[in-house]
Amino acid sequence: MMRVCIPLIFMLVTALAKGQKYQELPILKEDREHWSFVPIERPELPELKEDGWSNNPIDIFILAKLKRAGLQPLTKASHAALVRRAYLDLTGLLPDYREVTADKQYEQLVDELLSSPRFGERQAQFWLDLARFAETDGFEHDKVRADAWQYRDWVIDAFNRNLPYDEFIRKQLAADEFEEDERIATMFCLSGPDMPDINSQNERRHSLLNEMTSTVGAVFMGLQVGCAQCHDHKFDPISQADFYRMRAIFQPAVHVVKNQSVRELREQGEPSKAYLMVRGDFDKPGPEIKPGVIRVVATDDPIEIQKSKSGTSGRRLALANWMTDKRNPLTARVMVNRIWQQHFGTGLVSTLSDFGIMGTSPTHPELLDWLAAELQYQNWDLKAIHRLIVTSATYMQASEEDEIYRKNKLADPDNVLLSRFPRQRLDGEAIRDAMLVAAGFREFEMKGPGVRPPIQEEVSQTLLKNQWNVSPDEKDHYRRSIYIFARRNLRYPLFEAFDRPDANVSCPQRQKSTTAPQALILFNSKLSLDLARRMASDILLTVRNDEDFIREVLRRCWCREPEPEVMEVARAYFIKNRKSAQEISLDQLEKVTPIPLPADLSIREAAVYSEFCLIAFNTLEFIIIQ
Amino acid sequence: MASIASSLSLLSRRQMLASMGGGAGLLALQAMLTEERADAAVPDLCAPREPHYTPRATRVIWLFMHGGPSHVDLFDPKPELIKYAGKPIPESFGNVMTRRNVAKNPLLGPIKPFRPRGESGLEVSDFLPHTAKHADRLCVIRSMHGDSVNHPQSVYQMNTGNVLMGHPSVGSWVAYGLGTLNRDMPAFVVLPDPGGGLKGGPPAWGSGYLPASYQGVTMRPGEAPILNLAPQPGITSQRQADAFSTLRGINREFIRRIGDDDQLQARIAAYELAFRMQAAAPALVDISQETKATHRLYGLENKETAEFGRRCLLARRMIEQGVRFVQVHSGDTLGWDAHKDVLSNHTKYCGSTDLPVAGLLTDLAQRGLLDDTLVVWCGEFGRMPMSEQGKGRDHNPWGYCSWLAGAGVEGGRAIGATDPIGLRATEDKVHVRDFHATLLHLMGIDHMELSYFHNGLEERLTGPQTAHVVEAI
Repeated sequence: MMRVCIPLIFMLVTALAKGQKYQELPILKEDREHWSFVPIERPELPELKEDGWSNNPIDIFILAKLKRAGLQPLTKASHAALVRRAYLDLTGLLPDYREVTADKQYEQLVDELLSSPRFGERQAQFWLDLARFAETDGFEHDKVRADAWQYRDWVIDAFNRNLPYDEFIRKQLAADEFEEDERIATMFCLSGPDMPDINSQNERRHSLLNEMTSTVGAVFMGLQVGCAQCHDHKFDPISQADFYRMRAIFQPAVHVVKNQSVRELREQGEPSKAYLMVRGDFDKPGPEIKPGVIRVVATDDPIEIQKSKSGTSGRRLALANWMTDKRNPLTARVMVNRIWQQHFGTGLVSTLSDFGIMGTSPTHPELLDWLAAELQYQNWDLKAIHRLIVTSATYMQASEEDEIYRKNKLADPDNVLLSRFPRQRLDGEAIRDAMLVAAGFREFEMKGPGVRPPIQEEVSQTLLKNQWNVSPDEKDHYRRSIYIFARRNLRYPLFEAFDRPDANVSCPQRQKSTTAPQALILFNSKLSLDLARRMASDILLTVRNDEDFIREVLRRCWCREPEPEVMEVARAYFIKNRKSAQEISLDQLEKVTPIPLPADLSIREAAVYSEFCLIAFNTLEFIIIQ
Repeated sequence: MASIASSLSLLSRRQMLASMGGGAGLLALQAMLTEERADAAVPDLCAPREPHYTPRATRVIWLFMHGGPSHVDLFDPKPELIKYAGKPIPESFGNVMTRRNVAKNPLLGPIKPFRPRGESGLEVSDFLPHTAKHADRLCVIRSMHGDSVNHPQSVYQMNTGNVLMGHPSVGSWVAYGLGTLNRDMPAFVVLPDPGGGLKGGPPAWGSGYLPASYQGVTMRPGEAPILNLAPQPGITSQRQADAFSTLRGINREFIRRIGDDDQLQARIAAYELAFRMQAAAPALVDISQETKATHRLYGLENKETAEFGRRCLLARRMIEQGVRFVQVHSGDTLGWDAHKDVLSNHTKYCGSTDLPVAGLLTDLAQRGLLDDTLVVWCGEFGRMPMSEQGKGRDHNPWGYCSWLAGAGVEGGRAIGATDPIGLRATEDKVHVRDFHATLLHLMGIDHMELSYFHNGLEERLTGPQTAHVVEAI
């Protein structure tokens, strides 16, 4: 077996094409003193007397800082609010109202949700954002990548079977080197945009390699190594040679054929020589480079690269093993911070993919390290971390205003101290899924090629012909959002309006904009009205008087009993709507009646039911997680 | 009317500052801070902002000729090309990188004659008799050049400064830097060709890593100028108004119950805005209010020019209403891409755009709008002097033309030059990033100062390489 040791700390001084020298700066002791490069050690828990509030160590760290600021945490949220919060947060779906009223411990509910296949579907979206995943190439032809959906399904499945995070990384970087059956996982590396018909295939391969190296650095290590592809990183101690050393790890596995989309990683033959590319230009190879890892993160020991059993170079597996070595200071910190952000809307480190000098420092450094140590101690069990967070007293705080809330908001306006549960708006995918559940869709089919629900002609016109052929089976139009075809050149309009990223670069955290077009699409789109009509019909199966109908609509959307004031407003609307319905032609009204229309209801009576459901979809309470 | 632009984007200040990083995005940052002092509740990303220095242009109409119009047949006369037509390109020109291997093909002479026009004598081809009448207003840049022989890369480069997808478009950068002039209007509007999309698609007018509020809003003539503007059929406006006031009532209860915050207020405001837009936007695009003479000026009475003319007229109405940046696309998915036959292709596209473009210039001038409105005309590249398939031409990013008019830019002249056959830019070369730096400069923005911190990098429209403002402009 071939065995190559690569000295990690060396300085590269070589003559470049035009006689300039490339001189690599050494890594200094001070460089390694940046907080994220310091080895992870489980910190002592801050000492607190019996506080009567904490559920687990997370709370002890949070409470310590709150106390230091002279604040106290908020009271626990109502059971109904917690059920809704946990459902939307962990599964991306609304609960059935019966779940809200069921006599069940919150902790038991959390366990059920974590074991539900819906959990993986929800988690997958976060990961696919990071993976800049789309099912097409992008650029002019935006051709379909026939197998891309299999990677999406692999991600869903990996989260559902709680694949340990170290394995999750190893498989996405190097499944072909040790677990051939899951080779599809390596599509992570090649999920970005690509132009198969570009004239220069050398340029194409160069772009793919650089993009892949940058993405791997940002996603797994939280380092913007991509900034070092043209010159040394301006702020972080990452040299251009570091970048091309890491790129050399991937180089043997990327091959391009003109006009063919890329699939997974695959090594062929002996690795060719790798070079530092001068100014990042595909045409200007500089000094030769050996594969290696980012020096500032590495310990002084060399990493070992061994040829794999399947005969591949073993470089990527070596990289993955180095990343998931418990001595690696970044991997665990970066991932627990991402999980934290999913639940609280902001990371303990707010720059989720930049743990370098330009990133922000952690608001709770000990908590971050404690969680990172815990993830490693739990053998990279991701669900264990989710469980810890969502069963913490911190997470279970209310978000409703009371006296303490007002005091905390004043003292902690940006909620840096987690002095209350941060209200969050749902993303577009969850809004659509929530509408589906409210409309009575309960069984969700999993897996398979992406589906294409109808979109407006004005939108599909901005594409080439036949790029959004609507799925022929109408049933497919009502599948969960994660299964909607992800075309790189066109995001599904509802998702785009609510800040779905464009799948061109890794997205660690979505923007949360509030725009008028969001209001327009929720109020006026065919999608909203169609689901409102189906929801009305579903409710009318069991409920026939207005009072009960209103109550059931709002229970489904808000997971609670509406208060009398709201009932009053709704009743007044029913009266007004029925009255104005008298003046409208049946042809028109027919376009808003419940689908299907119950046989014993007249068109004139029935329109109000759909229109009220449409209002419910537009209420603040519907799209906010409290 | 109101819009994405005036929509209140809700990055918290903390997020915003974090995303801007150390000392970057100065312009926008200062504006945000001032904004916050004025209205601590809701930072409005689209509030108007002060430029770096006194601008010559406060608004832009960008006529984008998709597919690549042939500079050697429109604005760059090449007598040598007539002389050498039919012969292969002289060896002295060296290797030429082309998309379709046309380097060895015989040269193709200009399809139509050029003539000196106006007082200046600026030469324009017979393909564009109407635009030619405005020769004294046109500042033609004959030394444009870019980096890719492919459509999508070049479309992205011309529109976003980068050959790769995912970067903010010029319009988004301007919206980010200057905000909108009319709080009820988007800062950046795109009027796509109804015939089909650009090669590369919507990312060409996307906001990339900038907030979605800066994205180009596509609008079109007719009753539904913005997507989802009108309620679904069956919901009359009265009934919608009832639904809307019911929603208001329910939301009020919600806020009373859980307590107010900026985010909830912003969403309520967005709904109010959306509701107002429904009434106002159709009026904006209702060109029946324009006079017959205006209709005639833009060629609306003529089948060939009516469609593009209508969008040019809309562009004028938009900037009149305070839209910062309007882009009008000409050309369906293939557009000006005359691989096979320049004559038939350019006859069609010049035929549909020439009169409306001239009408637009006339109209802007007579309304006094041209003084501070910059009109930009260009494609993603030009075309090769060699022939393709006999009478066509392949893509040429190495040298081509664009023109500017209005905003005090001196017309009747050409800047820079290509070599004697129009293959490569040779004199006073203007790279796409120089072009962008110049456009920003005309709008009062220093391209080095307009930046956004993203993924560890201080991103700029003009990228990390050095860009030069074209001093002559």
